[in-house]
Amino acid sequence: MLASSTANRDTFAVSTPSDQEIRLTRRFNAPRHLVFEAMTRPEHVARWWGCLAEGYSVPVCEIDLRVGGRWRFVNRHPKGEAAFHGEYLEIEPPGRLVFTEIFEDFPDSPSVVTTELLEEGAGTRLVVTAKYPSMAVRDIVIGTGMAKGAAISYDRLEDLVAELGRR
Amino acid sequence: MMAQLQTVDPLSTTFSALADPTRRAILARLAAGEASVTELAEPFDMTLPAVSKHLKVLERAGLIARNREAQWRRCRLDPAPLRTASDWLEHYREFWEQRFDRLEAYLAELQQESKKATKKKGRRGARTK
Repeated sequence: MLASSTANRDTFAVSTPSDQEIRLTRRFNAPRHLVFEAMTRPEHVARWWGCLAEGYSVPVCEIDLRVGGRWRFVNRHPKGEAAFHGEYLEIEPPGRLVFTEIFEDFPDSPSVVTTELLEEGAGTRLVVTAKYPSMAVRDIVIGTGMAKGAAISYDRLEDLVAELGRR
Repeated sequence: MMAQLQTVDPLSTTFSALADPTRRAILARLAAGEASVTELAEPFDMTLPAVSKHLKVLERAGLIARNREAQWRRCRLDPAPLRTASDWLEHYREFWEQRFDRLEAYLAELQQESKKATKKKGRRGARTK
């Protein structure tokens, strides 16, 4: 399965369509309906979302797939747990999904995540656009190494935080 | 820039304060221990009022505290908001890119399973289709 997980890695790209947004895109060798299902059914989400390596699991995965319905995922990782929840705003299978996302440790910084699935040959082009509460928050997200080659760099922050952690 | 600093969202306040390289350098210096404004200004080609302005931004973001009694008001670092910001970032660093890789691997698994299921059905005869 390793080969398949990296087959389209080069198609991963990040851009900043507006001051507060980050757009991530990637190709998948699967039809749109399957990608949509993988993202919206709890039995599927629990198998990939947050299952990044050994020691990672998804003990809570609740999805009420209705407009106005809520979702909540908990990711258990080697250092603890991270919980996210939100509300579905638009549901149009297999092409579009919009929801809010709140990282529960930081409820004051919600984002709105728009997922678009476009047909690309026999596969799917996934376009995820996350809108953050301010440009400052977005920029720091970009600067963390998530977006290779992004113009804005906060490389010193990591050094600084590491330095503080040693105190 | 001021509009960003006035936002109510505390993470944005922290990140706005960290967005400037001089302010990050000041924090790095304070990570080594308390310092006066004059000491902090030394490595920079900057006037004391300019450095004070940066310190005010850092103070407002809760990243530094200043001793009010001493005449020279020594500054010290408060790492709490940085840790908060760092924890928040950790989520993105760890998840976004790897999530997509993991999703693709899972989709491949799903497709293989459905292929196998179709083959089994085929063997049993077209009727079950």
